[in-house]
Amino acid sequence: METTTTLSRETEIYNDYVKEWKDKGGKVVGYSCVATPVELIEAAGLLPYRIKALGNSDTELADGEMSLFNCSFCRACLQLGLDGTYDFLDGLIETNGCDHLRAMFENWQHRKKLDCFYYLKVPHFYRDDSLAYFEENLGLLKGLLEEKSSVKVTDEALDEAIHGWETVREKWRELSALRELDTPKVTGSEALALEIKGSSMLSGDFVAMLSRFIAERKDAVGTKPAARLMVCGPATDEVEWFEEIERLGAVVVADVLCFGSRAFVTAPPASDGSPLHRLAEAYLSSIFCPRMYKEYERRRDLIRETARRARVDGAIYLYNKFCDLHGVDSVIVRRDLEEAGIPVLVLEKEYSAKADIGRVKTRVQAFMERIGGVA
Amino acid sequence: MDKGFVMREGENGFERAMGILEMIYKLPDSLSEEDVEAAKNFVFPELQQTVIGLLELPADRELELFFFRLLLGVLKEAQNAQAEGKKLVFIPFTFPPEIFYSFDNIFPICTEIVGGLITNICYGQGERFWDYAMGMGLPDSLCSANTIGTMPFFMGPGLKADAIVYNSAGSCNPNAKIHAFASDYLGIPQFLLEKPVDESPRGRELFRQYLKRFIKELEEWSGSEMREERLREVMKKSYQAVELYNEFWELKKARPCPVPNIFSMTLLVLRSQLWGRQEAVDVMQKMVDMSKERLRKGEYTASEELARVYITYIYWLFDFYGYFTWMEKEGITILGDILAIHYFPEMDFSSKESMLEGLADITFDYPMTRQMGGESISMRWLDDIIYAAQDLGADACIFGGVHACKHTLGTAAYFRREMMKRTGLATLMLTGDVFDKRHTPMEMLQEEVKTFVDQVVARKKSQDKKKAKTAGE
Repeated sequence: METTTTLSRETEIYNDYVKEWKDKGGKVVGYSCVATPVELIEAAGLLPYRIKALGNSDTELADGEMSLFNCSFCRACLQLGLDGTYDFLDGLIETNGCDHLRAMFENWQHRKKLDCFYYLKVPHFYRDDSLAYFEENLGLLKGLLEEKSSVKVTDEALDEAIHGWETVREKWRELSALRELDTPKVTGSEALALEIKGSSMLSGDFVAMLSRFIAERKDAVGTKPAARLMVCGPATDEVEWFEEIERLGAVVVADVLCFGSRAFVTAPPASDGSPLHRLAEAYLSSIFCPRMYKEYERRRDLIRETARRARVDGAIYLYNKFCDLHGVDSVIVRRDLEEAGIPVLVLEKEYSAKADIGRVKTRVQAFMERIGGVA
Repeated sequence: MDKGFVMREGENGFERAMGILEMIYKLPDSLSEEDVEAAKNFVFPELQQTVIGLLELPADRELELFFFRLLLGVLKEAQNAQAEGKKLVFIPFTFPPEIFYSFDNIFPICTEIVGGLITNICYGQGERFWDYAMGMGLPDSLCSANTIGTMPFFMGPGLKADAIVYNSAGSCNPNAKIHAFASDYLGIPQFLLEKPVDESPRGRELFRQYLKRFIKELEEWSGSEMREERLREVMKKSYQAVELYNEFWELKKARPCPVPNIFSMTLLVLRSQLWGRQEAVDVMQKMVDMSKERLRKGEYTASEELARVYITYIYWLFDFYGYFTWMEKEGITILGDILAIHYFPEMDFSSKESMLEGLADITFDYPMTRQMGGESISMRWLDDIIYAAQDLGADACIFGGVHACKHTLGTAAYFRREMMKRTGLATLMLTGDVFDKRHTPMEMLQEEVKTFVDQVVARKKSQDKKKAKTAGE
């Protein structure tokens, strides 16, 4: 399968798109968790930028702040925050996604003392009272963004941004359908690369990029994979992991990852109520992350439904060492998928550890043999 | 030693530990040194450390015999609770047990405390329970306190809870996840009380609302209302213990400290399992009386109090003797850890509503929940430890946690720097484990503590003395 010109893998944190935006006088707001409504940032005339590390394995400065028992992805991101790579950010939004993420943000803020810093408190369950609180928090965030951007976020502007991101999600579903074909026309690594590029774009440009890519691929001839795999887990922006797995002849035809398809499962906002209320409801009801409690059945159903739709031969649960949320969830997800007849391989790894790739490839090869695919 | 000796077929950790604890009833009230030696030699090597940790020093011996007999009585109640029509709930050590004692038909078991006790008593200690968890596929980066604490209830038949509750979602992921996992694994309902990471009045208000809803859920599930009279009775008992807790805190300020090190561990067990009951009041009273008496007599275990340390996170509990008693014998006073810092609001006993509001504030500010569930982990943690360390006159701090404490480990460098900057107190960073001695053996921890005290604390104290002398001249 040929890659298109639109799909060179992102290698720069401060990429050309963001540079151009900044050159025009635009401001950029960093965020990390998919529970952050990017619509609000966009409606304030700001560019939402999802924090990533793009495979950065250097964590020297971050290791002076966080311990080696902390997630290496968070340390890698913090490193880039501390070494100046992320100095182009005009603001940062913290979320209480997990213990590691909170520590990352706290250290970042202690060291950099950003003028525009907001802690978005996301409840750990979806209920009427937690929804009301989340909406209040979004209201406070909106106020801060308005102040920093000097732009009033009107209901119309917010509705427009909501529509923009809804279109992104629709396009993502189209893209996913091409991955799920018997002879996939899009690979898992390509999808992840697209998501990483799009996570620092305005919705309109992200849609345009996805549309171009889909148009180019629609009539392409796909290849029958040796194994159809699904990858589950937390946030990872390491496209190379997917590439290595796919080099073995498998195709990652579906994923339930935080950088990946899980970022696009936000429910369409309801048609009634204020845009802020609809946004709050859409987001809080669609966080399919193990940081949400008493909602395991919904997560399990999403994973099982994804696996069923993509007709996967097996699933890989891939997470970074020290991730308690996914580490514990992986045990019951494996049990439930295997009960449903889907073999599962649980893989724990360090972020951007090239040395881990050989070990992981061996295990994936063995797994493919187990499920009947030939590596 | 054959495992079968201590864990027979069809028996779980809880029952086995209860069987071993029963021996306490057979001991005389007053034990001589020879009796202690005999008791020590009667048990297997790992339990010896627990036995001498509790019994070697005369003050510890008197208190711990009294305390364990009362605790055993309460655990027997737990064992019989279901037969008496009560619901047994597992709670974490970040939750005030008085909430559950305020129900006529709910009995709480604190998993970390009771599970931890079991691991300290049974052969193989925490390691066998940890290995069992690993065998289930759980990640090795979890917290041993919660994982080992819940495992005895997973293994074999025996005490089975009717529900599990937790409140650390977002403040300690390992704690919340293992409790949610236990709910799934044991097939019992889970109840979650979330604390918003918001210290504004709105955050507190929301938490009160959450607590009331949580109680309502428990009422519906258990089929009985939390009666105002019972709540008042329990909260009054709770506040009798609070008054003693305040006295206990004041007593620790004296130099040398009249409060034996192991009393801090006892306080932890009382607060997590017995608070709101007469037993907690009785043990607190005895601890206060004994400490006062020691103060009056000027008693201190070592010839000199070399250092007064505040444990910035938690104690290690796999070896009572090696940790608490050893430090005391070395002249190192343990003033407390994060779990020893409680904020009790003025309680208005006039109505159910007013008591629930007070209870909400207690829960909001409960140790660990308050700091790790704070708006800023590092700032709230730092402020509270600075308060405790300065108020009690600490000479230094020791960080002790578990590799699973990602929240503290993620901000410990900042904490240590700021602690030094704001108070001049050095912090020794130790990596170890609460219940698994394979992580770092006690001998290694002791060596590090001793070196720290000799080279940092004692030297600084002597330099300060010299400076004061020079200034005086």
